[in-house]
Amino acid sequence: MEYNFVINDFEGPLDLLLHLIKTDEVDIYDISIEKVTEQYLSFIKSMEEMNLTVASEYLVMAAELIEIKSRLLLPNKKDLDEDEYEEDPRENLINRLLEYKKYKDMIDTFKSLEEERKDIFTKDPINLSEYREVNAEKNGDITLEDLIEALKNFLKRKEDEKPLQTKITKKELSVTERTSQIRDILKRKRRISFFDLFEVKTREYIVVTFLSILEMAKYGEINIVQESNFNNIIINSKEGEVHE
Amino acid sequence: MSSILEAILFAVGDEGLTKKEISNILEIEEGKVNDELKKLEKIYENRGIELKLLGNKYKLITKSEYKDYIKKLTDEVSNNLSKSALETLAIIAYNEPITRMQIDEIRGVNSSQMIRNLLSKGFIEDMGKSDLPGRPLLYKTTNHFLDYFNLSTKEDLPKINLEEIEVLEDDDLFLTRYKEEGEV
Repeated sequence: MEYNFVINDFEGPLDLLLHLIKTDEVDIYDISIEKVTEQYLSFIKSMEEMNLTVASEYLVMAAELIEIKSRLLLPNKKDLDEDEYEEDPRENLINRLLEYKKYKDMIDTFKSLEEERKDIFTKDPINLSEYREVNAEKNGDITLEDLIEALKNFLKRKEDEKPLQTKITKKELSVTERTSQIRDILKRKRRISFFDLFEVKTREYIVVTFLSILEMAKYGEINIVQESNFNNIIINSKEGEVHE
Repeated sequence: MSSILEAILFAVGDEGLTKKEISNILEIEEGKVNDELKKLEKIYENRGIELKLLGNKYKLITKSEYKDYIKKLTDEVSNNLSKSALETLAIIAYNEPITRMQIDEIRGVNSSQMIRNLLSKGFIEDMGKSDLPGRPLLYKTTNHFLDYFNLSTKEDLPKINLEEIEVLEDDDLFLTRYKEEGEV
């Protein structure tokens, strides 16, 4: 299926669902879970094919849709649970959609209010600091605690401007991983210069790559050829070898 | 009296003054403040500026019909709020006080970064902790929020269709989920 929008156009899974429902021109109360689930999943899938990251929230919604769908397929067991109402499994989702839509519909109103406000202007307060300085010295209402408090407030505001804490971990490369990468390269090229395999110049990368080459040579996956001293070293894939 | 009012309103500029502040400065009752405000409004009928209640504070503003001239003075950089910011603000404004979890539930996405953003821009503020499990912070919109959207007071928020809301179900879900975690 072709989509002329991408996942970044949406604020979240509910927004995406509302869009799908709207394009189908059905009432939210009458949505067919089967159809909407199918559309939703195929959209998520096509986004992944385009290598766009799909936030986990979208996947949670996908799971939720599938759950509702499967509950709709189950036969009613109202005799077993006497306490429970015969509840439409879609109800919760429909309520959430309606609730969300309410606020989404307000966006345009707020946008135009925002624009309206831009038509009028006020001014900065008059700078009274010249007079204030004298006063502050005279009556000294400002205590050290006030200053500390003010600094604290300021720092707190600054804190809020910073991005949320995140942890960046170094990606570690294992010999097994690197070996299979080299295998892939050899599959495509058949032969490669020894030095070309060291494209990243970190100690870790060089060590791991070197170990991988040694290991592959040991198991006879590759031939290492050097025509004469100080010549380029060529790594050949052994023909006819099939590797797991 | 109304000229004193004019002078102090001019001095405070965009910070504005609440009715209470005016009554303190002029040393008159709030009822009389109303009269003075009305007088001033009348004076401004044929002028380039006018009196407006924005975000619970009285401010002197330029009349909107002269916007084109004033905009000539500025290199217009219009920094509008994003869709997600508007959406989040709307949710907070109509449900305040509200916790981050409740905002997340309605939006279906995590809102912590957005909330920090709005906090640092002064559109919302926290107003203590709720009694909900975990005692999460409660958020509400500020006077600056009202001013930004050209609103005098909270009563001027555009009407929203509040009829068919059944948030009850969501609440139940939240409580049961929490209970399960508690028992484990």
